[in-house]
Amino acid sequence: MIQLFKFLRNKRLFLLLIGLILFVAVMGFSLSDRKDLSWPEKFVNDSVALLQSWLYKPAGYMAGLFEDIRTMRQLYEENEELRTTVARYARDRSTYNYLKSENETLKKYLHFTREQEQINNYKYVIAQVIAASPDVYNKTIKINLGSKHGIRKNMAVMTVAGLIGLVSEVSPITSTVMPITELNAQSIAGAKKISATVSGKESFGIIESYDSETGQLLMTRISEDDPLQEGDTVITSGLGSVFPQGIEVGKVISKQVGDYGLTYTAYIQPSANFDKLREVMVVQVPDFEYEELGE
Amino acid sequence: MRIHWIILIMFVLFLVEGTLMNWLVPIEWVHRVVPHFVFVFVLFSSLYAGRHVALLLGIVFGMLQDIVYYGHLLGVHSFTMGLCGYLIGLMLEFKRVPMLTAISVIGMGCLLLDTLTFMIYTVFKINSQPYVWALSHHILPSLFLQLLFALACYVPARRWFEQAFPRKSREESSEMPTIR
Repeated sequence: MIQLFKFLRNKRLFLLLIGLILFVAVMGFSLSDRKDLSWPEKFVNDSVALLQSWLYKPAGYMAGLFEDIRTMRQLYEENEELRTTVARYARDRSTYNYLKSENETLKKYLHFTREQEQINNYKYVIAQVIAASPDVYNKTIKINLGSKHGIRKNMAVMTVAGLIGLVSEVSPITSTVMPITELNAQSIAGAKKISATVSGKESFGIIESYDSETGQLLMTRISEDDPLQEGDTVITSGLGSVFPQGIEVGKVISKQVGDYGLTYTAYIQPSANFDKLREVMVVQVPDFEYEELGE
Repeated sequence: MRIHWIILIMFVLFLVEGTLMNWLVPIEWVHRVVPHFVFVFVLFSSLYAGRHVALLLGIVFGMLQDIVYYGHLLGVHSFTMGLCGYLIGLMLEFKRVPMLTAISVIGMGCLLLDTLTFMIYTVFKINSQPYVWALSHHILPSLFLQLLFALACYVPARRWFEQAFPRKSREESSEMPTIR
C-alpha cells in the first residue's frame, strides 16, 4: 500500500516535470521569429475577435460619452486652438500644392522609374481596435483588419498623434499590433529596430528600447556631431524600407553619452497615447512584388 | 448549474478582461490594475470542484489568452494558471473553509500567479525591471481588484461549482474525509 502511494506520488512529480519541460519548449519555440501563425491560432484569433468587437466598441462609446461631459469645459479652448491650426494648415496647403507639382515635374525631368515615383505613396487604412491585452509584459492590441484586407507583418501602425507600433501577427480578418513600448534590445522577442531622424534636420538614430519605469523610448547610435537637441521632434526615417518615413514618434527629452562613450543616446517622450485606443491607421508601403502577383 | 454554463461565464469574463475593463479602469491605471477574473474562477473551481478541474480550466483558458494576445511567448498564462490552480487545489480542495479564508487563499493565488508570470518573463529577458518595481507597479494594485471581484462573486460561484460537482462525487474523490 505504501509502495503504491509512493509510486503515485512519484508519478505526480514526474508528470509535473514533464509538463514544465513541455511548456518551456513551447515558450522557447514561440520566442523564435515565426513567419506565420498556424491555422488553429488563426481560427481562435478570428472567432474570439468577432465576439470581442461586440464588446469593445460599445464600451468605448459609453466611456467616451462620460468623458465628453467631463471635458465640455475644455471645448472652447480646444476650438480656439484648432482654429489657429486650421489657418496654419490652409497656408501650408498652398505651398504644399506648389511644391508637389514642382517635385513631380522635376522627377519627370530626371527620369524616375515607376518604382521610385511610387515609393512614398503610402496608403493609410483605418482599423478599429477590438481588444487590448490584459498583461503588463505583453501589451498587444488587436485590430479588425487582417491578411484579407492586405495587412502584412511589420507594417507600421499609427494614430493621428504618432507612431503606435507594428503589426506582429496576422490572421485572415484580424491582426495583432505590438506597441513600440514593447521594444527591447536585450530580448529576442522585442528586438525590432526603427531608424529615426529629426524633422527638419539631417540626423540619424535607432529606436530600439523602451524604459517602462520612466515611460521613455531610447534612441541610440546617434553620432557625436549630430544636430539632435532637446525638444526636437523625432520622426521615422524610412531607411530600413520596412517602415514608412515621416511618422512622428515623440519629443527628445534629454541627450546623453551612450554606453561605450562613442555614440549618444537620446530619451524620447512618445507623442502617441497607447491606452484606450479606438481607431488606428495601418500604413501600407507600396510593395511591387505583391502588387504584380495580385494582378 | 452545469459545467458548460460555468465555462460560458468564464469565457464572457475572458472577453470582459480584454475589452470592458480597458474602459472601466482610469487611464493612468490601465496597465497597473490588471484583471484576472478568469483566474479567480479557476481558483474557485480548485476550492469547490477539485484540483484536476482547476488544472484543466487553467490550462485551457490560459492557452486561450496566450493565443489571442500572442506577443512574445506562447504558454505563459497556460502554465501559470494551470499550476496555480492545481497547487491551491492540492492545499484546500473540498475543505469546508470559511469565506474569509477562501478569499485570502484566492488573494495568495493571484500573488503567486503574478510572481510566476514575472519570473518567466524575466527568465526570457522580456522584462528587465526588479521584482520590487513589479510589486508596487501592478501586482499589489491588481490584487485589490481581484479580491473585490472574488468577494462579489463568492456566493454565486460557490453555488455554481457545488451544483456542477455535487457532494456525492466530492466525497468519493477527496482523499481525506472531512470531519464535520
